[in-house]
Amino acid sequence: MRAQFVLQEIWIGLRRNLTMTISLVITVAIAMALFGTGLLLRSQVDSSKSYWYDKIEVSIFLCAKTSSNNSCQKQDVTPQDRDALGEMLKKMPQVANVQYETQQQAYARFKERFSGSPGFVESTRQDDIPPSFRVKLKNPEEYKTVSQAVLGHKGVDTVINEQEILKKFFRILNGLQVAALLIALIQVVAAVLLVGNTVRLSAFNRRRETGIMRLVGASNTYIQMPFILEGAIAGLIGGLFASVLLVFSKMFLVDRLAGDVQLVSRLGWSTVIAVIVVSICFGVLLCAIASFLTLRRYLKI
Amino acid sequence: MIHFDNVTKVYPSQNRPALQHVNVAIEKGEFLFLVGPSGSGKSTFLRLVLKEERPSQGHVHVAGKDLSRLSNWKVPHLRRRIGCVFQDFRLLPNKNVFENVAFALEVIGKPRRFIGKVVPEVIDLVGLEGKAHRMPDELSGGEQQRVAIARAFVNRPMILLADEPTGNIDPATSIGIMKVLDRINRTGTTVVMATHDAAIVDAFRKRVVELEDGRVVRDQSRGVYGQAY
Repeated sequence: MRAQFVLQEIWIGLRRNLTMTISLVITVAIAMALFGTGLLLRSQVDSSKSYWYDKIEVSIFLCAKTSSNNSCQKQDVTPQDRDALGEMLKKMPQVANVQYETQQQAYARFKERFSGSPGFVESTRQDDIPPSFRVKLKNPEEYKTVSQAVLGHKGVDTVINEQEILKKFFRILNGLQVAALLIALIQVVAAVLLVGNTVRLSAFNRRRETGIMRLVGASNTYIQMPFILEGAIAGLIGGLFASVLLVFSKMFLVDRLAGDVQLVSRLGWSTVIAVIVVSICFGVLLCAIASFLTLRRYLKI
Repeated sequence: MIHFDNVTKVYPSQNRPALQHVNVAIEKGEFLFLVGPSGSGKSTFLRLVLKEERPSQGHVHVAGKDLSRLSNWKVPHLRRRIGCVFQDFRLLPNKNVFENVAFALEVIGKPRRFIGKVVPEVIDLVGLEGKAHRMPDELSGGEQQRVAIARAFVNRPMILLADEPTGNIDPATSIGIMKVLDRINRTGTTVVMATHDAAIVDAFRKRVVELEDGRVVRDQSRGVYGQAY
């Protein structure tokens, strides 16, 4: 196989239907960028999930005078009930760690958290914030057993599972991931059809050459190779554009988002590079295979 | 070299066979005219030799090989040993004479040095000395056909198939083309030429196989185009 000859043929082919090639490159770039974004979101979800699940706590708020829960009867929790609850929690096999937070501690934390809005702090009194048990679970998925055991207990106002709050957030991220992959899939279909059309045009444009090649006994690989490489090169260029888009989305979307919502960004450059490599390989293979399959229809061997 | 053994070819969309029970044996180094009216099966005969079509019945042997037993991936190797020339030349308009001839060697992966040595020789052989860098549209019909013959012969095939090579060329120029084919035949290459051109067949006095409605109606050594009435 003479490389120079094949390269020359590819160049002629790509140049002859330039508009088609450009649209193919754009489609592949968008498809691969979305595909890569989907993968990035996925690894983001995974890494922040494991980060947060380590820190997740179940908060058991105890009765205070201000509690709206009827079972509290507008009374503070008795020390006996509080200690009994504490003992019970410590004995539960699902529980890793229990911490009691008094009203003073809770109020101090509240003041610190909302130090930016002094009016809010001033209108809140120490009594408004109930004391609570902060319970860390061995396995965050088991919070239901704990909350059910605790809810009926005397002196318990409400149980708040932080996981529920995070779940909503993860649901949004998951939705974005599915949407990106879905649009990527549609783009992939468009890319495959475009490859098919490009190769068909290319085969038609070069029917003279391929006819002669067949007659003088060029091997099938030799005849097909320029077409397949043509598709692969368009896929490669599209993939390179996609990787630029992915780098931009890492710098301006993920990193900035991480700064804004204090999302722990475990999304390092190594992940981005891995995703880029996967996307480019996928793009090149997709185009090469699509060309090969179309060739079997439009190029008589 | 080429043996047709009771070959019948029916194209799927037609009920009349293109060839019927054809038995022809062509030996190495022969020069054979394949004559007959349009649609008599001459082109089908040539396509069967190239394994562009497969016979509906019977066997075609080329260079001692039964083509029906030749696997598809070996077909290119068969075609490397057969040169082809057509009525419409089939040159690449964007390549010059040298490049057109070299193309046949490039696509079968011959090294550049070999191409640089062999191509000028063949261009000289077909009588196009000094015209290697002309483009096809700067050449006359006869010269274009010489380029096509050079391309067909540059890989030194055992067999040269010519499908009406003089069909687009005036009689005076045709004689020049025939001389080139004769020269190639003298190197030991088997030449099969399908033609309508009575004058040429009559002048050359080679073996003539006449087809009519897909049947061989005449097979005559040193024959003429029409039957002597």
